[in-house]
Amino acid sequence: MNEELAILNNYLVVGAVLFGIGIVGFLSRRNMIVMFLSAEIMLQGVSLSLVAWSRFHNDFGGQVFVVFIIAVAACEAAITLALVVALFQRRGSLDVAAWQTLREANQPPLLEPVLPEETPAVERLPRLPTAGVQPDVGREPSGHRKNL
Amino acid sequence: MVADWQKIVAVATALGVIGMWLMLPRGGARGRALGVVLGAAALGLGLSQLRSVGQWATDGLFLVLAAIAIVSAAGAVTFRKPVYCAIWFGQSLLGVAGLMLVAGAQFLAVATVVVYAGAILVTFLFVLMLAQPQGRAPSDRVSFEGPVAAAAGVVMVGLLSAVLGGFVTRADTAAWRPTTPSPEARAGGVLAAEHVARLGDALFGRHLVAVEVAGTLLLAALVGAAAIARLATDRNGRPRPAAVSDDETVV
Repeated sequence: MNEELAILNNYLVVGAVLFGIGIVGFLSRRNMIVMFLSAEIMLQGVSLSLVAWSRFHNDFGGQVFVVFIIAVAACEAAITLALVVALFQRRGSLDVAAWQTLREANQPPLLEPVLPEETPAVERLPRLPTAGVQPDVGREPSGHRKNL
Repeated sequence: MVADWQKIVAVATALGVIGMWLMLPRGGARGRALGVVLGAAALGLGLSQLRSVGQWATDGLFLVLAAIAIVSAAGAVTFRKPVYCAIWFGQSLLGVAGLMLVAGAQFLAVATVVVYAGAILVTFLFVLMLAQPQGRAPSDRVSFEGPVAAAAGVVMVGLLSAVLGGFVTRADTAAWRPTTPSPEARAGGVLAAEHVARLGDALFGRHLVAVEVAGTLLLAALVGAAAIARLATDRNGRPRPAAVSDDETVV
């Protein structure tokens, strides 16, 4: 087995797995931010494949391509976050189903499934022991700052 | 004629589909542990079919980093709380950066960590804090079409692996071999000691116009993001009324 061929094969498989996981997340999650994270996972898989090809062919073209992927991802993140903030201010929710009026005319609406009521866990805050000097609350608070 | 590795890839794909579906949020926590077990089995089967480079240290390092990247990506996709998703995504980025470093792309490994984990992920966390980071919203508790989505993604991975495995097997056994550069050429090229200088040479020599275009794109994205964020609110920071009614009229 050619050693470089083995490395190429392994990296391409891992890149494909990352891409597939990103597809699953993008298709199934409803939170807009998590959908965008899934798209970024897909980009990571593609970057890994390009790095592997770059090594296999002894050519810097693949790595230059990954530099541009990172630049475009930064642009994409800026635009997406601006859009998500705007959409969130309109509807008060990050759920994409809040925008289902934009669907095709012949598609049925999404019916929200009935979920069992969830009781939030009781928050247990730590209790601090009383220690130190009792603060003097009776004094005039601004008395020691004459310049204000 | 079905080879052994093809059967193993098929079994791993089937296990992966079921495991991924069970791991996605479905309104309750039932079956999630089983999904994790099935997903781990599919991952182990898949990784066992990778090719060995020949040195156990290189192989072990690659397997550990690949497992970190893949498991963290699965966590980022399947966790219910969006904040946990972002944290798992950051860990997945670290795994991918390690893989790039092992492959010899030092600059890209550092750039991935700095740009993604340092800038993009932190901005994401800011926005996530806007709304229900505990994941109690119904939209976080249930996913769209879980089985179909899991099947679509994992079956695609299985097909890609099968095609790739066939390609590598043929390239390994048959008379036809891909023409690869010699190790000496590679050590003087992509794997050279002055890697960053070589990459900069390629970037600012042959791809100079593309670099300028990318800079213009960044500037345009900056202006566009500021414009979008300003258009959404009026001067007092309140959301502007929509030009068309937002109400659910089409049912």
